[in-house]
Amino acid sequence: MRIPLERKVLNENDRIAAGLRERFQARGVFCLNLISSPGSGKTSLLERTLEGFDKSRKVAVLTGDIQTDNDARRLARFGFPVRQITTGGACHLDASMVERALTDIADDYQILFLENVGNLVCPTSYDLGEDARAVVLSVTEGEDKPLKYPATFHHADLMVLNKIDLLPYVPFQMELARENARRVQPEIEIVDVSCTTGEGLGRWRAWLEAQL
Amino acid sequence: MSIAASVLDAVRAETALRPGARAVRAGLRIGELSGVEPDSLRFCLEALVAGSDLEPLAFELELRPWKRRCLDCRAEFRVVDFNPNCPVCGSASTEAAGGDEMEFSYLEVEEP
Repeated sequence: MRIPLERKVLNENDRIAAGLRERFQARGVFCLNLISSPGSGKTSLLERTLEGFDKSRKVAVLTGDIQTDNDARRLARFGFPVRQITTGGACHLDASMVERALTDIADDYQILFLENVGNLVCPTSYDLGEDARAVVLSVTEGEDKPLKYPATFHHADLMVLNKIDLLPYVPFQMELARENARRVQPEIEIVDVSCTTGEGLGRWRAWLEAQL
Repeated sequence: MSIAASVLDAVRAETALRPGARAVRAGLRIGELSGVEPDSLRFCLEALVAGSDLEPLAFELELRPWKRRCLDCRAEFRVVDFNPNCPVCGSASTEAAGGDEMEFSYLEVEEP
């Protein structure tokens, strides 16, 4: 007997994510899910971002890694609440991990950053209750990343082109990378930054403030 | 692998609603933009089913195309070669219209 079954495979995750989103919206929290391949600079971008925030701002960070709490230690220096989510093998964050980690943080944050596990594939499928998604692509990678991982870029609101200070040393074509991102997501916004020199971070902060 | 595990959890939950029934085949719709590689998913599903209580459960994976809709002429079209523009009227003003699917379509069970 064939039973029609109209449900999403990840509907348990989606249910928890919907609960988180409702909670964030009720409190006016802006939640950003940061996705990239390993080493693109998600943690560096967060370091520069936290460094630039006034200490009175209500900001919290959850950072995901398969192992180690290195990123949480890097980010905790700025005085904002940071929690490491160690996935113990899973290559992405899911909504239940976020929900659990949040029980440990005072409920007064207005901006919540979710630094996903470095991976351009699996995090895409998991809704974390975020308001927006940003993909970080660094100029030491290929311009064709948006075409190789279209699902990730398709679901992103913002692409951060990072490490632009290295442009003189690598054959990366910025315009081609932007064009490729817009082919898979015509509405994507793009900011170019260097977390090393600070160039472009003003544009990134402006984007962030505009979301609040 | 965790997506495959979610599929099997759902199959077990649905089967449990029908005492004595045994799941024999699950139908899934996987979109081009779902972030899931159908061959990898099939590999993981088969690896998890082998030797488990669900054996010999089989899977049918239906691939769903990446689609957009033209906001000018309303044509719905499949995105070919990453081109988001409307192939009918040439408009660049289009919106997402499919390809995100990662869902069940059916479950086939044998009942006593």
